Amino acid sequence: MTSRNFLPSFLLLRRNWRMAARCITALAGGYAAAAGLASLGARLLPIARVEATLWGMILSFLIFASLGLWAFHERRLLKVAGWIWGSALLSIGALLLIGPRP
Amino acid sequence: MSGKAKSAERGLRQSMAWIHNWLGLLAGWIVFAMFLTGTASYFRPEITRWMQPELRLEPVSPRHAAETAVAHMQRTSPDDRQWYIYLPDDRTAETRIFAMPRPDPEAAPAKRGSEIKLDPATGAPISARETRGGEHFYRFHFQLQLPHPWGRWLAGLCAIFMLAAIISGVITHKRIFVDFFTLRWSKGQRSWLDAHNVTAVLALPFHAMISYTGLITLFVMYMPWPVAANYPKPTAFYAEAYGTEPDGEASGRPAPLTPIGPLVDAASHEWRGGQPRAIVIRNPNDAAATVTILRSVADRLNARGDSITYSGATGRKMSQSPPPGTALTTAGVMLGLHMGNFAGPALRWTYFLLGLTGTTMVGTGLLLWTAKRRKPGAKPFFGFCLVERLNIGAIACLPAGMAAYLLANRLIPADLTGRQDMEVAAMFWTWFGLAGLMLLRPVRRAWIEALGLSALAFAALPLVNMATTDRGPVASLLSGDWLFLSFDAAFLASAALLGFGAWRASRAKAAPGPRRRADAGRAATAVHAAREVADAA
Repeated sequence: MTSRNFLPSFLLLRRNWRMAARCITALAGGYAAAAGLASLGARLLPIARVEATLWGMILSFLIFASLGLWAFHERRLLKVAGWIWGSALLSIGALLLIGPRP
Repeated sequence: MSGKAKSAERGLRQSMAWIHNWLGLLAGWIVFAMFLTGTASYFRPEITRWMQPELRLEPVSPRHAAETAVAHMQRTSPDDRQWYIYLPDDRTAETRIFAMPRPDPEAAPAKRGSEIKLDPATGAPISARETRGGEHFYRFHFQLQLPHPWGRWLAGLCAIFMLAAIISGVITHKRIFVDFFTLRWSKGQRSWLDAHNVTAVLALPFHAMISYTGLITLFVMYMPWPVAANYPKPTAFYAEAYGTEPDGEASGRPAPLTPIGPLVDAASHEWRGGQPRAIVIRNPNDAAATVTILRSVADRLNARGDSITYSGATGRKMSQSPPPGTALTTAGVMLGLHMGNFAGPALRWTYFLLGLTGTTMVGTGLLLWTAKRRKPGAKPFFGFCLVERLNIGAIACLPAGMAAYLLANRLIPADLTGRQDMEVAAMFWTWFGLAGLMLLRPVRRAWIEALGLSALAFAALPLVNMATTDRGPVASLLSGDWLFLSFDAAFLASAALLGFGAWRASRAKAAPGPRRRADAGRAATAVHAAREVADAA
């Protein structure tokens, strides 16, 4: 490991990279998933769109907080990243496919 | 419970304890400042009144205040695009107005004019010292004195950390009921843990409510995506949810504005006695003028008031806010719970004390972090020193800054221009200046001195108030002025509390024996981790 002389030691620890990925997944991924899931719920709920929109906005914070906490509880990073980023991509993708309420 | 379920539960409580530590550590100092300034904001109008001691306005009816305000604006700016009028109520004595001038096609888009305060009885502008009053604490509470929109985003990030910290804190604790009755003094780390648990558990419903509803206050900004999923334009959502009218254009045909008094009465009648809180007049003195009257929310839990819009030329009712659905009512009530505008004096003081409990919870949590990791005789690591110094800066120095803001209000000459910015600067220079100064002192002395100075600053407030105004405690007592008396009493109580803290800090023994750090996974054996959890529970 010749690079040891040029790089700060914390950059060489795999553990730290994994923790950084976990934090980004919890914060950015958790927000994206909460936004996507809440918006998809708001879009599909068969009630007045004002009401559906507001329920989505109100509940999104609970979804975000729960996902963020779970991201640090589950030991397997792949499982965390898969579920959180996966649900974010799927829900946002579905929203883009069906478009806003007519 | 089977062995497997037990270990799963222990695993969950362990991971939640770990993340609770980190959430609290990362957001703790800002959340502490948000809690303290937010707590003060429950008395926002009262603080403003205390900061303008030369004002002694007599209360008048909302209708009369509306009439005098409109007459004033007709005299000063009849051709404006919009007039905003905030009416006085039980807690605010003056009428506040501001106007939006017609945009000059040559110039940049019109900004909202500056706010002017009127005497509601006469409609004449009042002359009192310039100050931001309680508004400053209120704005800092969710904008952190940072440029828009960064302050609000940072406050929101800290609020979601707070919400997650509360959830993980509850999961970590097994013995909520027992913690309620456990407070051991002078036991170092044990005591901080007890204090943290007592304050957290004592007001748990309040803490959970306040952090969740705090996010709801700005949810349109933090979570606009459900709106985007259902509406082509956000304005369509606002119109449907809050009945906000699109800003109509002027017709160009002049028409005298209908008298405001009958409209105020008509709105109050429609609301079965509900009082008006504010009036927005668009395109005054034009045939297309509209007058929107907003309902006061001081008498109800839902902080989303109704509104009715009348034609400004004929006085005919044009539209009113739609009856709210379940979700809209829920959001409005959550907003109302956070702001506490429905609370009478007793409930308002309860809110204030609960806010202080929350502040204590956050503060003791931060202190617990250092108490847990203090190793007597060993050289502390950098992160430990950083946390310790930030704790001193947030917990012991912010109160001094808040007192300095109030002291500056009394000490800066009342007729000086630009004095309101000096008051705000006094808070931040004192807060950060003192925190910086304390870096030069050993930790234990720093705690004693910073808390002592904060206590002195609060103790000085009643004296300085007595010396610089004619509304000292004796005068207030003689004239039955409960507002100013309450302030003097609250200052002395704050001084006593901070003084007690300084005294406790001076008696603090050296920390108890060495402890392992729980977060160093390498060193923490399973047994040790189990003991950590048992301690935390």
